[in-house]
Amino acid sequence: MNTLEGKIASIKTNGSLSLVTINVNDILFQAMIIETPDTVSYLKKTNPVKVVFKETEVIISKGDGCELSIPNKVTGNISTIEKGVLLSKIIISTAVGDISAIITSDAMNEMILQIEEEVTILIKTTEIMLSQ
Amino acid sequence: MIHIALQKQLIATNGVMLLDIDIEIKEGDFVTLYGDSGAGKTSILRMIAGLMTADKGYVKVNDRIWLDTKNKIYVKPQQRRIGYVFQEYALFPNMTVKENLLFALEKGQDKQIVNELIELVELGELKNRKPDKLSGGQKQRVALARALVRKPEILMLDEPLSALDHSMRSRLQDYILKMHKQFNLTTILISHEIGEVIKMCDNIFVIENGRIIKQGNPIDVFTSKQVSGKFQFSGEIVEVKREGIIYVVTVLIGANFVKIVADKSDVKTMTVGDKIIVASKAFNPLLQKIN
Repeated sequence: MNTLEGKIASIKTNGSLSLVTINVNDILFQAMIIETPDTVSYLKKTNPVKVVFKETEVIISKGDGCELSIPNKVTGNISTIEKGVLLSKIIISTAVGDISAIITSDAMNEMILQIEEEVTILIKTTEIMLSQ
Repeated sequence: MIHIALQKQLIATNGVMLLDIDIEIKEGDFVTLYGDSGAGKTSILRMIAGLMTADKGYVKVNDRIWLDTKNKIYVKPQQRRIGYVFQEYALFPNMTVKENLLFALEKGQDKQIVNELIELVELGELKNRKPDKLSGGQKQRVALARALVRKPEILMLDEPLSALDHSMRSRLQDYILKMHKQFNLTTILISHEIGEVIKMCDNIFVIENGRIIKQGNPIDVFTSKQVSGKFQFSGEIVEVKREGIIYVVTVLIGANFVKIVADKSDVKTMTVGDKIIVASKAFNPLLQKIN
């Protein structure tokens, strides 16, 4: 599980859904959640909040990811690779801290990912949970 | 309103423990006392019932004072309107189901309540059997019905279901809820099972070393971290298995097993038997109609 600490920068609400923007070390993350400021007390601008997402939901790109429909992007450098038979774990050090990604070993081999290489990690807004 | 303030020195496994609680329970509420063995839960029930003396105490049930040590008021156990169900069924073995219930009647009380209760717990066909011819779940239904014969104000349940298997437990929980509503009871349950607590009670008191350390709505109390995931369940870890670079954690949620992929850093502090919250986003699960 990846957990980043940030502050709520803005909240857009429609019906029971909210798109929450969180500032983590000056990098903005967006999370789509089924909560509104009326249903949970922590949904307030400038409130501290944790951005939580699973390693298996992290996408790794060698490009900048701009052509994709994924708003959450962070660049960083690969610091560790742990190779498994089917799955491999990659740790990327970024401006928001270390982020772990679990991808298939096939994908890793095809992309020829290497230690210290610069990559962009991407996470969909619907994969991010918020926690107090 | 029920006001319970109790102080008592208890001998615990690691020395003397001071039980010191002061709680209020709304009339008609279903509350749970939750905590480790030896935290003082059963002692609290016994003092409310008058079966154990308190060093200092004040128990007021609705408008009647049952105990006030300061003013030397002590209402005898048999005059406190209480129904008590234990894990052991404590039925009279030489009496039939019906006789067990009749024995609990007060002098001059209308016997009709016995038939009514037998129907409510659906034991009509078994009413002439003796306890040794009943299953564990049936015995506990008799014990529950018997506890209600005198129309108690407070029903106290001391881990009544822990000896039963899962499906029986779930049925008994439904019976207890039915009785709680039907008789407008205020019910105090001692339970260790989070699922049971969430299903049954309005309020929970978490007790540690004789003191209340947390109280509130059970979901709020158990999900202290408040994750925004809407697909959220509480369960118990039954297996943690390494599969290559990941771990697969099997969790028992109610009567269902689910498997969750986890990273080494997640399972570091987890072992079999731990109670956990399983959370996912509402965006992920698929729905499929069963034909």
